[in-house]
Order: sequence, then structure tokens, then C-alpha cells
Amino acid sequence: MLNHPTPTDGYETYTSRLQKETEELIKKHRPPHDTAQIELQKKLHFEFLLRNLRQGFPERYTSQDASQPWLIYWTLHGFSILGVGLDDQTKKRTIDTLLAMQHPEGGFAGGPGQTAHLLPTYAAVCSFAVVGRPGDGGGWDAIDRKKMYDFFMSLKRRDGSFLVSHHGEVDVRGIYCLLAVATLLNLLTPELLAGVPEFLATCQTYEGGFCNASFPGWAFEADDPETESGSPKTYDLSAPRPPLGEAHGGYTFCAAASWVLLQPYIKLYYSSAGGSLPPVPSINTRALLRWCVQMQGLPIELGGFKGRTNKLVDGCYSWWVGGCVVLAETLLGVTATHEAVPHEHHEESDEDGQKSWDDADDSLFNRKALQEYILCAGQHPAGGLRDKPPKPADAYHTLYCTAGLSAAQHRVIPSEAREKAVISAWHSSQAHAKAESRHPGTAYAPSSDADREMLDELRKGIFAHAMSWSEEDGTAVYVGGAANRVNATHPLFNLTVTHSDGMLSYFYGQTPPSRYANKPATK
Amino acid sequence: MSELLADDPEWADVVPIRQYENVNPIAPIFYSEEYKDATDYFRGVLKTGEMSPRVLQLTERIIRMNPAHYTAWQHRYKTVISLKIPLEEELELMNEIATTFLKTYQVWHHRRLLLTALTSIDAAARELEFLKTVLRADAKNYHTWSFRQWILAHFNDEERLWAGERAYIEDLLEQDVRNNSAWHHRFFVVFSSGIRLGDEDRDQMLRRELSFVKEKIALAPNNPSAWNYLRGALEHTNTPFSTLTTFVELYTTSQPPSRGRDEDVVDLDNPPPSAGAQLPAVAALEFLADIYEKEGGDASAKAVEIWKSLANEKDVIRKKYWEYRIRDALSKA
Ligand SMILES: [Zn+2]
Repeated sequence: MLNHPTPTDGYETYTSRLQKETEELIKKHRPPHDTAQIELQKKLHFEFLLRNLRQGFPERYTSQDASQPWLIYWTLHGFSILGVGLDDQTKKRTIDTLLAMQHPEGGFAGGPGQTAHLLPTYAAVCSFAVVGRPGDGGGWDAIDRKKMYDFFMSLKRRDGSFLVSHHGEVDVRGIYCLLAVATLLNLLTPELLAGVPEFLATCQTYEGGFCNASFPGWAFEADDPETESGSPKTYDLSAPRPPLGEAHGGYTFCAAASWVLLQPYIKLYYSSAGGSLPPVPSINTRALLRWCVQMQGLPIELGGFKGRTNKLVDGCYSWWVGGCVVLAETLLGVTATHEAVPHEHHEESDEDGQKSWDDADDSLFNRKALQEYILCAGQHPAGGLRDKPPKPADAYHTLYCTAGLSAAQHRVIPSEAREKAVISAWHSSQAHAKAESRHPGTAYAPSSDADREMLDELRKGIFAHAMSWSEEDGTAVYVGGAANRVNATHPLFNLTVTHSDGMLSYFYGQTPPSRYANKPATK
Repeated sequence: MSELLADDPEWADVVPIRQYENVNPIAPIFYSEEYKDATDYFRGVLKTGEMSPRVLQLTERIIRMNPAHYTAWQHRYKTVISLKIPLEEELELMNEIATTFLKTYQVWHHRRLLLTALTSIDAAARELEFLKTVLRADAKNYHTWSFRQWILAHFNDEERLWAGERAYIEDLLEQDVRNNSAWHHRFFVVFSSGIRLGDEDRDQMLRRELSFVKEKIALAPNNPSAWNYLRGALEHTNTPFSTLTTFVELYTTSQPPSRGRDEDVVDLDNPPPSAGAQLPAVAALEFLADIYEKEGGDASAKAVEIWKSLANEKDVIRKKYWEYRIRDALSKA
């Protein structure tokens, strides 16, 4: 591909100068002509992760003292993506460490003795998915789900948003973390979800991506986070709820993943036909897709992703934006169809084996280029991955670069067949018993039989949808060859499907059919 | 305060609490002695619920070592309120911390809580000025912008707060026309947040915005921030893209129109690309294809031609996306 610099139209500004400097730096890491030589340094990255886990983190990570579950999650899931299992002793120590961060009033904190917060709650629960199991010492039964639900409800605001912690801010990342956890642990209720889709929709900006929060004050007559809690009430539909902040990769992933997680709820509790149910809320999915693909850098930037318009490429957006493309595709319904593409122009651009790629590849971003960015610019020579050269590696970028690499190698999409199989094996009473096990107490109770049926449908829909994501056969592509393969990761949770399946099955009380049952035996 | 609280008689009555009591933690952080000492005492203070002047000092000590310690911020806020510390004083005290740690969420959220409690337009106006100094150091700081927008909406005073924003944005875009945060801020002020004083005539407002963004496109035609603003303005006002065909076509040809020929005929609605423009601009081609797609019929073929040239030549990194646009348009035709 051509290596033109980003055009500056003979008009330099701070942004274009910074862009140019970055292109000069990244250019030096251009992949070799023979891409088969590009190697993922699995051993070095494994050692980087192992050092952090066993020996601990150097002092500069004091900035992460309030994010300790994240350090654990980034490391553990990093191992899972690299295909490394953990010994029982490490698992046990991890479970003990995580439980020391569970808050007595529910949820998990950034560290022992700190206050509970939605972000570390996600990181802790996902870490439990990797190392935990049911039963004594397994961690899963030690998660206080009833108190967690109460904690979630105590953060709820009338505009459908949630504070990230008491006295904390509203942030789309927190909403994603809450929804992912509530999905995994079977804590979703209409009470918890009321107003959430409407809130998310207000966070989409004119660019198509999402920002961190919207302003509720004009529609709800107050926006004081200290006093405005509770269920949504009627509000002024005509009043603006403007997005605060510009479209951004992290928030866009969180909003899009939340939107996908909410689909079963939206289907059941809203109506496009009028009547007593509220009208279906909407986002501009085409604009979302456009924004995501516009964030992919030029060939001179090796096709890495940016997090905002006119900002620089950065390895972590490989996941936040690269990983978001499949969510936009899913919402647009383009993952379900495989009709022929008018391919005639491929003949002419087929000098370097381009064709085999195109045939395997239904994805709407450039999977090959993204892999090249991560492999050539994202890997630190001493192990671990990074934002971009010449920056050092760190735990956060190591996970989100490897997760981005995974998203570029594997195409994991919702499978209708899998969803049907899961639904046909659904045991309503067990799901119900599991969900109810979090109260006797004050938590949500449906007020009528009809409400109870709806709730059962909701649980089934949420479970089956979350379980339905599967890798599409024959679509994996590996720059540098199959030796560079990493494991697939679930686009909604960023866990391997083995880990998310395990946790979901337990907390919904289900024994879903095997993912591999209907495939021909390979013996 | 002396170096360690453990050596300070003033803290002798507090029982410090170690972070991990009976656990050998996985993935531990190697804290400095000072940090360990301060957070041990902080856990002790949290347990008793103490809110006192020395606790204010302790939270500041922790925040300076780790500004992302949200629990320290939370307890500091509760203590400020409980001790009835003048909120203006606290804001003032936090100015230096804000400028030092401007990339930290908590820094800005704390100020938001203080301003909410202050309920003073004067304080809000001063805060907008303070944020200008912060944005001078980092013109794209996400949280600072988000906070600025919240102040404008929350206090919502046309003359004291909103009135200065457009001129401020124009200054910033004068300095860097590619500053997407400034473009977003303009959209927030002009379109997303109701009707500004003086903008009651919506047609006039839209004309002003279109001519503003077209001038900026002319200056640097390959600036996605300006094109996104243009698209956003049109979509927000339900204005068809096709109303800008003449303008856009100036940017889809390979050559800037030769200058000097019709110097006396200045078309203000359609400012031509600058002399240094690198044409055709990809964003202009995309825009023109959108016009053709919408027009439908025979024009669809022209849209497909443009998408093909983007896919195979002018924007190859997005080949898959442009091919999707072709597929999508053909399936609807
Ligand atoms: Zn990054």
C-alpha cells in the first residue's frame, strides 16, 4: 500500500506537526515486505505478564493503587488470550486478593478499604470468570450479589445513568461495567435498566461516536449528582440532553457494547407499535460504523486506530475501536448476511495475494493492517505491548493490544443457530431460582404474573444472546502465520468464550448444549 | 506534618490499617514508604469516619502522590462539607493540583461538586476563565472540555457564560483548525444545547455556521474535524447534503480552480480551496457520493464510481468499508 503522509494542505498547525512527527516514528516500524516473517513474541509477553503477577508492579504503578482489580484482570486475561492456563495456587491467591476488595456494602473497590466503584467491580468479576469456580474457595459464591444489586440501585439516577461510585461522576464506562457484570451474574431487572437506553442514546455525538455523559438538567429539572437519584420519572421529551465531551474510542466501545447487551431488554420492554410500552429508543448505527472505520489510521500509520478525530493512533484503540466495529456490524445486521459482493475490481488489485484475504474477510475494517500495527509498532522489544514506539510497555496496553490483535484475527459474531440451541435447552425454573437467590430481602420483585413472565423472558433473552457469540468458521486470519494465533475473545465482555460461558451458565443455572456438539468429529 | 505519620505524635491516636491483613496478594504494587504510611492511616481514618483538618491534610497528601485515589477525593469532599470550609477557598487551593494533574478525572469531578454546592454564577464565570488557562496547556484535554460544557449547561446564563464561547472557539480554531475538541465545543454551544441569545433566527444561524465551516474547509480541505462539523450541522437541521453540491465539487477535482481568472467574481457561498490544497479531498469525495446515493436513480452509479475509487486508490485502508457502501446502496436500489 502507498505510504503517503496525512495531507496537510500546506497549512501546518500543532495537530498536523504532531501527526507528522508520529508518522516519522511509526514509519520506521513498517512491516517487512514478506509479512510471513512478522512474529508475535509470545514468550516475551508471557514473561512480562508473569513478572507483574508474581513479583508485582514497580512503584510508578502507584497511580493504579485505586485500580488494583484492573491490574489483575489485564494480566489474567492477557494470559488467557495468549493461551496460558494458571496453576491452582495462583488462582487461590488471586481469589483471596479479589475478595479483600469486595466492599461490605456491595460491589468491589479499587483496593482493600477503598470505596466500591463500578469500574473495579467489572475488573474483579471478569477476573473471577478467569480464575474462579462455584463451591468453597472458588470465589463465585463469595460474590455478594444481593448487596451488589443494591449498590447498583444506589447509584442510579433519574436520567437512566449511574454514578460510578457514591459522590462520583456519571460515565458511560461505568454503565458498561455495570451492564456487563449484571449480565454475567444474572442481576438484570427492568427496575435496574429503566431509562438506560435513552441515556445512552443521548451520548452519541454528531460525529457518530459516543462521549462520556450527557447533561440531564433541562429534561429532568435538576442535575445534582448528590440528590438526584431514583427511578426515571416523566420528563420533558423536547428538552435537549446534550452530549458532554466529544466522540471518543473508549466511550464509544462502552456505549456500543452496552447497546448490544440491552437489545433483549429493548425488544421486550419497548414497542414500535405504540400502546402502553414506551417507543423504541434509537441510535444512529450507520454513523457509529462510519466513525469507527474513520478512526483507522492510514498505511503510513500502519493502520492502527485513533481514539478521536485528528488525534494519534494508539495500540489500546485496537480493542476499543477495532473491537467496536463488529458491534456496529451486528447492530446494522451485516454480520448475518453473506451475499455476494460485486468483486470485479479485485482482479486489478490482486498483485500480492490480496485475494485470499478478501475472500475470507467480511469484516468492515482492515484486519490485516491492524495486525501489522500491533505486531510491528505495538510490541516492545523487551516484552509487553504499548501505545506506540518509543513508549514503554505497560499492563493496560499489553491487554488491549493483545485483545485488539485477537479481534483482528478472529471474527466472533452472534450465531442464530447457537442462540436457538441455547434457548431450546433453557430451564426457566433454574434460572429463576438462581436469580432469586440474591434475595430474600428488598430487591426487585415483579408486581404481577405478567411482569414475572416478562422478567423470565428477559433473563432467557439476555442469556441466550450473550451465549450466542461464536467464531465464524473459516474466517480467522493471521498476519505472520498461524504461530501468531491468539485466542478469540468475546466482543461484549472481553473474556474468552470459555470463561464467559462458564460464568453465565452457573449464574443462570443452565446447562447449555456444547458449542462443539454439532461439528463433525475431528479424530 | 513530618515525613511519616507513624512518627508524628499528632497521629498517635489513630490506628493505621495495613492494606492486606491475612492475604498474600497477587500482583502487588511496590509503594513508597510515604505512600504506604499515608494510606495505612487513611484506612484507619475511614474506619472511624473522622472528618477533621488533619484529615484534609492527609487526603491532600495522598492525592498529590496518587490523584486517581477516588476514595481520598470522596472523603475529602465529605470533610470539606462537614467542616463548612469555604468552598471558594477549596477551589482556589485545588487550582494548582488541577493544573498539575489535569488528565485525572477526579480532579475535575471534585471541582464540579464544589461548584454545584456553591450555586454562584460569579464562581462559574471565574471557573470558565480558569479553564482557559488549563486548555492553553492542553487544548484537547477531554475532562476539561466536558467539565466546561457542564458548567455552561448547569449555570445556563446567556450573558455571563454562554456569550463568550463562540469567540473563544474561533480563537482556538485560529490557532489550530484541526482541534476537534474545539469543533465539538462549537457544536455543543450552537446546536446541541438549545437556542443561544441572538440565534433565534435559525436560518440565519445555519447560514452563519455553514459559511464559517466552509471557510475553514477552504483553508485546509483535508481536515476531518471540519467535514464532520459540516455533516453534523446539516443533519441536525435536516438540511439535504445536496444543497452544498457546488461547494463540494470544488474539492473533488484534482486541481484547485485556477485563480485570477474571475478575481472580481467572488462567490462567498463557495469559497475555493487554498493554493496549497491537496486535492481531491477524500472527505469531499465521500460527501459527494452521499449526495449521489441520496439522489438515487442514475446518480447511484456515480456514487458507486466514487466509492470504487476510494476503495482501490484514494482511501485503500477503508477498502472494506467502501465496498460495504457499494453493497448497501445496490441492495436498496
Ligand atoms: Zn492507549
